[in-house]
Amino acid sequence: MKKILLVDDEESIHLLYREELEEEGYEVHSALSGEEALDKLNIIEPDLVILDINMPGMNGIDVLRRMKEINQSMPVILSSAYQEFKQDLASWASDDYIVKSSNLDELKNAVRKYLRPE
Amino acid sequence: MPELRKDPILGRWIIIAKERGKRPTDFIVEHSVSKGGFCPLCPGNEKTTPPEVLSYGDINHQPNTPGWTLRVVPNKYPALIIEGELNKEGEGLYDKMNGIGAHEVIIESPNHDEAFADLPQIRMLDVFLAFRDRIIDLGRDPRFKYVMVFKNFGKAAGASLEHSHSQLIALPIVPGRIVSEMSGSLSYFKYKERCVYCDMIHQEIKTEDRVVCQNDYFLTIAPYAPRSPFEMWILPKRHASSYISQDHSSFQALAAIFSESMRRLNACIPNVPYNFVLHASPLRSEPLEYFHWHFEIMPKLTQIAGFEWGSGFYINPTPPEDAAKFLKEAKV
Repeated sequence: MKKILLVDDEESIHLLYREELEEEGYEVHSALSGEEALDKLNIIEPDLVILDINMPGMNGIDVLRRMKEINQSMPVILSSAYQEFKQDLASWASDDYIVKSSNLDELKNAVRKYLRPE
Repeated sequence: MPELRKDPILGRWIIIAKERGKRPTDFIVEHSVSKGGFCPLCPGNEKTTPPEVLSYGDINHQPNTPGWTLRVVPNKYPALIIEGELNKEGEGLYDKMNGIGAHEVIIESPNHDEAFADLPQIRMLDVFLAFRDRIIDLGRDPRFKYVMVFKNFGKAAGASLEHSHSQLIALPIVPGRIVSEMSGSLSYFKYKERCVYCDMIHQEIKTEDRVVCQNDYFLTIAPYAPRSPFEMWILPKRHASSYISQDHSSFQALAAIFSESMRRLNACIPNVPYNFVLHASPLRSEPLEYFHWHFEIMPKLTQIAGFEWGSGFYINPTPPEDAAKFLKEAKV
């Protein structure tokens, strides 16, 4: 089963995304901070990461740069409630950028671009 | 006593807080520390960016591979998109159109830690030629009316990525600021039958109080009514409204004076965050007698707060005459 690491400081996002992504046939792992995500990266070895930007502690852009330094080929989708982080050129290290919405179709389509559920 | 000064083109008032009289060493500049990690603009990571629209480098260098010295790429997550029609329409008294435009990033160096101010002149020349080449190319698209060229350096000036880059956005409208400058210049021209910028150049050279440096083609001044401490304008001495119409010698002289001006600024206030913006005539316009292209360099040393937003006044704690003196005397 393809593994997704979901990084977001809001537990409600984990509940929402996990249910939808598991229904799509993915194995979903959670991290509530950037630091936790980096710690879990080598243990979980995810096939894809969904990464929030605005988090306390290490922000998503800094986590992204670290993750891509470790594994450039691992797709990372930035997920934020805000459009303006798109203006941050460091976000270019991501493979996709989606704006958080209650409709998860955009997220699921973005995930499908990089992963085929098994 | 503080002094109110009026910008002769825009009519904008500035408060020069003379009693504060800030010297370069009075400004606290947050030194940005390289965060490290993956950089999407570095050589070897070309696949992370959209395919380049222009690059300079080794003669045998292949597109989108290392070997470049400058690259221009479309913005991966652009503010405006290039495909589509404008579809201008009214909504009652309001106007709207589709968000059509071209947003590009000029990667000025292959070296991650090489700042724009430290570029050798020959490579700075490439940056100015790249601006020209992209403006010419985008000017062929009839949907675009203006290309805004700008650079943000340092976090306080809006740059989050330390790898040296500037940006341009081709717009389907002429920005209000440029319209106001053109209109202010035209009013002056109608009254005096002279270009206000040409008059400014003659007066500044004569008095020398606000001259930072000059060469045969260009003059750098601290303008009379600057919004920001150590603000500088770089103006061509020969009248021209179009940036792209310069000859090669002029571009070489522009690189020389820009390099010197930036080194002087950096010597006064090391690592100062700044923005620079090219002000030029709209795309495909005839040569304009009343308008004069130039660069404005705005160090980010003061906060814009309620008073500035509400009044349009800026409070500047360093008189431009003092700033020019510090910049002129800086060891470069």
